[in-house]
Amino acid sequence: MIITLILAFLKIGFLGFGGGYAMLSLIYAESAHLGLSAAQFADLNALDGLIPGPIAINSATYIGQLTAGFSGALAATLTVCVPSLVIVPLYLHFEHRIKNNWGLSAILRGIKPASAGLVLAVAVTLALTTIGGVDTLGQIAKAQLNWANLLVLVIVLLMDAKWHLNPVFSILIAGLIGGVWYYLV
Amino acid sequence: MNKDWQLFKVYLMAGTFTFSGGMAMLPVIERELCQKRQLLPRDELYEYTTLSQTFPGVIALTNACFVGEKVNGKSGMLAAGLGAILPAFVLMLAATIGYQHVPQSGVFLSIMSAIRAASAAFLFSAAYGLARYNLKDPLSLAIAVGCLLATLFNLLSAPTLIILAGVIGLISARPRKEQS
Repeated sequence: MIITLILAFLKIGFLGFGGGYAMLSLIYAESAHLGLSAAQFADLNALDGLIPGPIAINSATYIGQLTAGFSGALAATLTVCVPSLVIVPLYLHFEHRIKNNWGLSAILRGIKPASAGLVLAVAVTLALTTIGGVDTLGQIAKAQLNWANLLVLVIVLLMDAKWHLNPVFSILIAGLIGGVWYYLV
Repeated sequence: MNKDWQLFKVYLMAGTFTFSGGMAMLPVIERELCQKRQLLPRDELYEYTTLSQTFPGVIALTNACFVGEKVNGKSGMLAAGLGAILPAFVLMLAATIGYQHVPQSGVFLSIMSAIRAASAAFLFSAAYGLARYNLKDPLSLAIAVGCLLATLFNLLSAPTLIILAGVIGLISARPRKEQS
């Protein structure tokens, strides 16, 4: 399991261009391979909002801990750090030759729009799971609407767009709606 | 005071008090390293910040490694890097262990389920943020829509799509470079 984790996070690290949210689609894909459910991934994303630190580090710790306990958490977290530890000394060593390298920025120009599409896909998948109770677009006919969750999603989206609220508040409000709904409906 | 210890302390502090993503560390780093301790000129910090974003991996960590290496060589790099990830690791580990003990039934399930909906909303905002700054021409739009559909209909995996997109970026940039 540890080896599988290390391979997964090497892939996430070296293909993870563009920072935390751009890496989330990779993290989602790998976490599914490692056996995590969409709900567990959604919980990870909520914890990312509550706990300080880079998203990739938080995700590695969470996924490692859920799949293989403390040693898994440690291995996954250290693995996701490998690209930085390799790239920084290499770059500083060959700085004069790499500077103004058009190749890297060209690759980024392709990957950044890709990550926008990929994150949207993860968002749609999570929305299907939480609001419809189905995991893929193909099952949408079987979906059963969860009104409380639809309400939460719309409220959080609107608040985020309007006031850029701290995720901690959004999560508190979501939890409150979920709790109250349970006793009212 | 030892430079490694100072780097470690500054990054540990910045990592502990900054939420949602590593880039939020930057103002703290600037205040502590550039202004108070004068270990690094401010323009160099920002140069490394821009540079870190072009590489794969954890951007905040890459940035910390650059700064650490510049201030005090290899040991500085490790000190800053360790300081940058340690709070995230320890706090997330504690949170995950706590999370594993939350009952998945009754009112707890209802609360967790609502929080998952909020989590989906965060991702819609994140996708909007990425789209707003990166989808400015027809090619980027096509790449984004292609990735969205290929993922939703389970045609290609995220790693494959990212490699493909990088290759498309390379190919499309080539002629432009020759012209200039």
